[in-house]
Amino acid sequence: MRRFEIGDHVTVREATTLFHHRTQAYTRGHTGVVVEHRPEWLIPEDEAWQREDGRVEPFYVVRFRQRDLWPGYTGLDRDTLETEVAEGWLVPAEEGMQ
Amino acid sequence: MTLSANNRYPVLMATLRRADPAPPESDRTPAPWEANVQATCECLSWRGTLDNLERRQAEDALGETTYADFPVHTRAAVVTAHSLLARGEISEHELETKMNEVRARFRQA
Amino acid sequence: MSPTHDHDHAPIEAANEISEFDVLETAIRELAIEKGLFSPEDHRRFMEWAERIGPHGGSRLIARAWLDPEFKQRLLADGTETSKEIGIDWLDPTGTGTPSDFTYFYVLENTPDVHNVIVCTLCSCYPRPVLGQAPEWYKTPHYRRRVVRWPREVLAEFGLHLPLDVEVRVHDSNQKSRFMVMPMRPEGTEGWTEDQLAAIVTRDTMIGVALPRADWTAARSPAATPR
Repeated sequence: MRRFEIGDHVTVREATTLFHHRTQAYTRGHTGVVVEHRPEWLIPEDEAWQREDGRVEPFYVVRFRQRDLWPGYTGLDRDTLETEVAEGWLVPAEEGMQ
Repeated sequence: MTLSANNRYPVLMATLRRADPAPPESDRTPAPWEANVQATCECLSWRGTLDNLERRQAEDALGETTYADFPVHTRAAVVTAHSLLARGEISEHELETKMNEVRARFRQA
Repeated sequence: MSPTHDHDHAPIEAANEISEFDVLETAIRELAIEKGLFSPEDHRRFMEWAERIGPHGGSRLIARAWLDPEFKQRLLADGTETSKEIGIDWLDPTGTGTPSDFTYFYVLENTPDVHNVIVCTLCSCYPRPVLGQAPEWYKTPHYRRRVVRWPREVLAEFGLHLPLDVEVRVHDSNQKSRFMVMPMRPEGTEGWTEDQLAAIVTRDTMIGVALPRADWTAARSPAATPR
């Protein structure tokens, strides 16, 4: 059961973790929009340990406005960045964060 | 005009002193040993000794600090060796002995 | 071990550098094989596979998509499955399988409004089954760090100046997916065959740092061009 639908505004958790993961520092704490669903995949936190019983989570393509990611972004307002994020790293964006 | 081998242009030497530790290496043609290193990295990752992502992160970290003197295209080899040493998969003595042996073998040819 | 010893030796001569790294490479590989970390057959198969692949698969996919709207729809909807139509199986690229390529493949369509460019900021993930080995610059921290932060400046350094009404969309392939850009078919290619079109779909146009042109193929030597 997926938690987020296409078009939902989501914020990447600020979590710092000692575990191997693939959630880029520059996305953490930032808000974007779900633009595509990806399949359920083994999360990198478990994959790195080659666990047979690794946890599987739905993944999402999240689109960020470059202006929201980088202070003083020198490009244009319409420029964007997309990346894939595991559901566990996402929370619904708070009001006013959209 | 003949080129003098003795004449060093200060502007060029200054470039070396200022050189970024990780300059972008444009489309140079890789040497054959580089492909061997990549295959070794794939094998080590696939068979579970050294994950590709961890190795890449180590390449970035060590390549810009400890091994900053090495050209970017040599980092995979140096850092793979470093990682195998650091994890105790091979010892310094073993690597040194093997390199001496390989060097002697290559000289024979 | 002394990983921080200082480097006060003279710069390594180019000729020596090659042979010493040849020695290091061979030593690592042979020790790893002696320790049973992998087999010589594992290594040989990766070498054989790596040297077989190039950007030809990607060029073929794009050229066919330009000519066949139904193929294009299939390719955009399911890159992994549609690649099989030209003989590329993403789930089995080497015949023995490699975790770094057990992935999903998505093709990103450029439009008059959106220009796509790919990067992997965490390592250097690259769609190798369709584009071959990544160029050296793609793997450098220099490109990876900067193209997400200053995409228009980095593209301009490649000579690509995009109009202000085009959205630049950077794709950071941080998880299981690999991406490839589908450039727009350029003018002047009306009536061309698939082979003709494939020749102008060069590697860089599928990374997104260049646009294809009717008067350019990667097989041509830049020096052979009349000035």
